[in-house]
Amino acid sequence: MKNIIISAKNLERVYTTGIIKTYALKDISIEIKEGEFVAIMGPSGSGKSTLLHQLGLLDTPTKGSIIIDNEDVVNLIESKRTKFRLEKLGYVFQSYNLVPELTALENVYITSMAQGMPAEEYKKKAEDILKRVGLGERLNHYPSELSGGEQQRVSIARALINKPKILFADEPTANLDTASGDNVLSIFKELNEKHNQTIVLVSHEPEHAKIVDRVIWVKDGLLDKSRK
Amino acid sequence: MNKSDLKVITFLAYKNIAKSKTTFFVIVAVMAMSFLSITFFAAIIDGLGYEFEEGMIKTLTGHLVIEPSENDKYLENTNNLVSDIRRIPDIVGVSQRIDSNAVATHENIQVGIPIIFINPEDELRVSSFSESIVEGEYLSKGNNNELIIGSELLKSYSGENDAEKKLDAGVGDIIQLSFSNGFVKDYKIKGVFKTGSRFGDMNALMTYGDYEEVFDTSNIASKIIVTLPDRGMEEEFKNKLIGIGVKDQINPWQTKMGTVEQFISSLEITNKITLIVGLLTAFATIYIIIFINVTNKRKQIGILKATGIKKEIILGSYVLQSLIYGVAGVIVGILMMFGLISLLTIYPLKMPIGDVIPILTTTKLITTVLILVLASVVAGFFPSKKAADDNILEAIFGG
Repeated sequence: MKNIIISAKNLERVYTTGIIKTYALKDISIEIKEGEFVAIMGPSGSGKSTLLHQLGLLDTPTKGSIIIDNEDVVNLIESKRTKFRLEKLGYVFQSYNLVPELTALENVYITSMAQGMPAEEYKKKAEDILKRVGLGERLNHYPSELSGGEQQRVSIARALINKPKILFADEPTANLDTASGDNVLSIFKELNEKHNQTIVLVSHEPEHAKIVDRVIWVKDGLLDKSRK
Repeated sequence: MNKSDLKVITFLAYKNIAKSKTTFFVIVAVMAMSFLSITFFAAIIDGLGYEFEEGMIKTLTGHLVIEPSENDKYLENTNNLVSDIRRIPDIVGVSQRIDSNAVATHENIQVGIPIIFINPEDELRVSSFSESIVEGEYLSKGNNNELIIGSELLKSYSGENDAEKKLDAGVGDIIQLSFSNGFVKDYKIKGVFKTGSRFGDMNALMTYGDYEEVFDTSNIASKIIVTLPDRGMEEEFKNKLIGIGVKDQINPWQTKMGTVEQFISSLEITNKITLIVGLLTAFATIYIIIFINVTNKRKQIGILKATGIKKEIILGSYVLQSLIYGVAGVIVGILMMFGLISLLTIYPLKMPIGDVIPILTTTKLITTVLILVLASVVAGFFPSKKAADDNILEAIFGG
């Protein structure tokens, strides 16, 4: 039986502007198992990205608890959250979000460098991962010299270098053409199937539901239990 | 902060600078120009002050002035004293002088003028009068019934708006001098000197030989001027003079500056105000440039934080970049400054008081360097701290 790696209970995220309160998430409780490939889906503005940001420690919920890998992450102090992100989580964003001043190789190994890994080791690891995502020939290219699909693959390589427990991907194919998008998804599928990588994917594209193990539907900040 | 943190800080700072060469060169150029604007003006003012002091030293005070004790009017037996002082090793020059006054008359114009009686040959090593003859010739030894006159006493050298009463005479003209003891005689103007020091150029010079004729006294002096190898040696040589038995007042030149000192103090105050204003301007400029630079990198800072790079590393990398901008700018500024000083040493600025060479003191150089480097670090710290403290999502997605 697979372990539960993410357990979120009664999550609430409220944005306050003056006296106006906007509920982005309302009382959401979910569990994700280790090695599971889960998609969070729902219409625009439903709160799916907000949910991913809470689970990925990029934001802090106003209420509720999140346990990741048996650790209560909501109450971690900032430096511990940063360390947790560095060591256990990986991110792939919609708009790639690579550091423009770093080459593909450097973008990938910067987090390993920060972990204190020896230079030879992190360079070799970064090179291997970039080769795995088909960018062996583009190691020393800057983001501005890469296509959107290539940049997203660099972003995946960056997310994977520290062997994260969970890979979070926020609409990773939204800015890509169909071929590049399919390529990114096939990388995710392979990672999940061959390496048992836990993946939490946010998407609003219905066909993505077919390749994941499970879909968590969100609507108006609540779990949409009418859909399975 | 551990070794790998420092490695990432250095790596990110290097990559940011290397990839944004234009930004780097613009910031370094602004820093260099700020350094130059602060130090160059200060150096000109210091050079101006130095030249004023030199004007006094080379005309009226030398480096040390030996003067009679309060109860005496003159120094006595000065010929022997001058010989004794001259024997002290490293003394550049010694000259005795008598200060007096006379009423000068020429073509119905009468003007009271200060007269300094000198030994022309001794003055060659002490003052700049001999090098400052603009018309005619310098005085020769003995009693020649001649004088040389400072340009400030002559109408032909005065400016259009100068309403002071002056002699309308020139080289070769005869002027009549009436001394305080009633002695009256005609003297020929042998030369006109213009040292650039107004206080020096307000005198007329005559020989000791003439003094003896006028006052029938010899071997006395109002003062003895001593010239040393350089400034800053006054105390050392004062002790040497005391050592050979000089019992009269020995005053360093600094005590004799009078209004010049007030003027130089005013220049120094101006200099300090300029320095503060310059530093504030430089600080504001650097702050704005680095602030814009960091603000443009807000998204990048958010990405780095999201991927687990510590806030301290991000902050450190931007502060290091600012430090590099500051150090590089200051180095370029120093090179430009030394280039300018070298150029102005060869081609000094021609000013009414003489040739002015900018002077950059080590203290001022170090102070400006430290303040500018500190300013760049502080200017880098606050916007970087703000960006590093930003919410990750706001930094990446805006807001």
